[in-house]
Amino acid sequence: MGGLTIGHGAGGRLTEELISLILDRFRKTPLADREDCALLPGGLAVTIDGYTVSPLSFQGGDIGKLSVCGSANDLAVRGARPLFLALGVIAEEGFPLEDLLVYMESASLICDSMDIALVTGDSKVVPRGQADELFLTTCAIGKIEREPVLGVDNLKHGDSILVTCPPGMHGAAIAAARYGLKVHGLASDCAPLWPMVEKVLPLKGLRCMRDCTRGGLGTVLCEWAEASGLGIEIEEEKVPRDEPSLSVCELLGFDPLHMAGEGCAAVAVSAEDAEKAVAILRQHPSGEMASIIGKVTEKHPRLVGIHTISGGTRLVDKPVGELLPRIC
Amino acid sequence: MQDTPSNTPRERIAKLSRALDRIVDRRIKVMEVCGTHTVSIFRQGLRSLLPASLELVSGPGCPVCVTDQAEIDAAVSLARMEGITVATYGDMIKVPGSGTSLLEERSRGMDVRVVTSADQALSLARNCRDRTVVLIAVGFETTAPATASVILDARSEGLENFLVLDLHKSVPPALKALASDPLVKLDAFLLPGHVSVITGLTPYRFLPEEHGIACAVAGFEAEEIMIGLLETARQVKTGRLAVASLYSRAVRPEGNPAARAVIEKVFTYADAPWRGLGIIPSSGYVIREEFAQFDALKRLDIPLSAVPPPEGCLCGEVLRGLIEPPSCPLFGCECTPNHPVGPCMVSTEGSCAAFLKFHQGGDNPWED
Repeated sequence: MGGLTIGHGAGGRLTEELISLILDRFRKTPLADREDCALLPGGLAVTIDGYTVSPLSFQGGDIGKLSVCGSANDLAVRGARPLFLALGVIAEEGFPLEDLLVYMESASLICDSMDIALVTGDSKVVPRGQADELFLTTCAIGKIEREPVLGVDNLKHGDSILVTCPPGMHGAAIAAARYGLKVHGLASDCAPLWPMVEKVLPLKGLRCMRDCTRGGLGTVLCEWAEASGLGIEIEEEKVPRDEPSLSVCELLGFDPLHMAGEGCAAVAVSAEDAEKAVAILRQHPSGEMASIIGKVTEKHPRLVGIHTISGGTRLVDKPVGELLPRIC
Repeated sequence: MQDTPSNTPRERIAKLSRALDRIVDRRIKVMEVCGTHTVSIFRQGLRSLLPASLELVSGPGCPVCVTDQAEIDAAVSLARMEGITVATYGDMIKVPGSGTSLLEERSRGMDVRVVTSADQALSLARNCRDRTVVLIAVGFETTAPATASVILDARSEGLENFLVLDLHKSVPPALKALASDPLVKLDAFLLPGHVSVITGLTPYRFLPEEHGIACAVAGFEAEEIMIGLLETARQVKTGRLAVASLYSRAVRPEGNPAARAVIEKVFTYADAPWRGLGIIPSSGYVIREEFAQFDALKRLDIPLSAVPPPEGCLCGEVLRGLIEPPSCPLFGCECTPNHPVGPCMVSTEGSCAAFLKFHQGGDNPWED
């Protein structure tokens, strides 16, 4: 079967294959519905995520902030209020304690902002060279505050597709840091989604939401189309634009639709509630650029298409493996 | 300039599309040489805006795609050597040689780093003196000057732990080979924008003059590509063939003499293998004897032994524009971006990968 590659962790097709292989080993997985978090009996929701970002600090955030936002956002997009957090720390021998505490402080600030309580944790230090500085794992538990529950099964022909901010800003900020590009005004969108999406939960027409992390907005839409058996069409000129991240994408040859966000949600809502949802999202600073970008259709089942600014049309697919900068 | 409702990019492109419809009155075959053009055309969905009788084929202008298997094998054997750090451009890392790829070597613990410039590779060498850094130098006239310049820097700094696996190639000789191939039969070339910034227009003159092929250098925006295609169609229709530059904001007729001088100083020409196209005379930039101390092939005694192409792979036909990717029997079955057999499926700028990604194989499913 060969060894694992970075692509297996990149959120696209290879990740999907890996998850299937892992799930196959377990006999009892009734709740693993491949949404961002699992819904447990008793109105609880749970999710877990590992954070290995390099560099540890980046424009717009750091690993501490990211580790709370990431897991809390996975709950938020299913309409669950984040309440409790478990935190695992794996640090490399020699990693400065002072730095660790800085990251813990920024994690704690995000917890405070949403009233999340840290309830348990674990810390390990491994010999130098056995981990890259610092890895964090967080498990978040929340209470579902939306009936009926949100999920891709609710998606219907004619629904509107919204996005809360320009896609790919986190990915672009990390790529720029990793490949030594200095871009004025570039910053990750890393932010908690709950305070914003909480406000759209009362909308009857709300169908489902997804956090556009690894694999980006494009991957989320492809997964929705595949899971629902419907098609999705988006308009490139309606997709909010962040010029600094677009310039990074252009330089490195990346598709912004495949780049991760960390405070960016895709939202599916009935056509009649779509404008209302946009108005509500725009009241929050993270949602200032929220916009309706497309619709769900019965045509082209299981496919996602984009009408480009040039007036052409093409498919949107999931990325395959690691995103690698092109030669020229 | 503010876009008024009557002057949006979409409307301007629609106008160009109608103009193409009017001009193209017979089947014409245009090759876009550059991989960046290929991707831009797919990403913007431009194929859906072209007249049916304009056949657009992708050429050998993706540096990853034309890198020979033997050359990848050489890079892989370098990565396996004790004390060597391989510095490579991103999309090279996945290309399979006859055995493995650099990506597989990296997952086995070999030191393979992705860089975005030759300069970054040089910095790696400066910062880890206990290892030898080898830059896998691929690309055409666009990247060759940067490689030449770091070799000059390394020499003036006296860096002894920096080497180059030089796989640079020159575009005009490849176009000559295509123009002379009786099977290929092209009416026009959409010439590469970035390469022409360096070469200027003169090296392409033989195409209209000796081979009767229309030529236009175009930029990479949707509108620029459409204008380039319109120019080639006009030349074909009127029979007034030339090398037209429609990318004047970047390309000067004389090119960039300073960059060419740096290339000249460090490299000389030799016959070179192109994956799928075979040996093309005087198409490779090889490191001059004077700089042999930076030549990884010579310093580390790496052999470049010819290997047969993978069975059933038709990348050669695809790169010559003889077939469209879906006509290859391996396309989308044995050969996918996850498990590429041929190079055109590996790079994001490869025509097979672009075809699969944006069209899922056959025709664009979004054309109603």
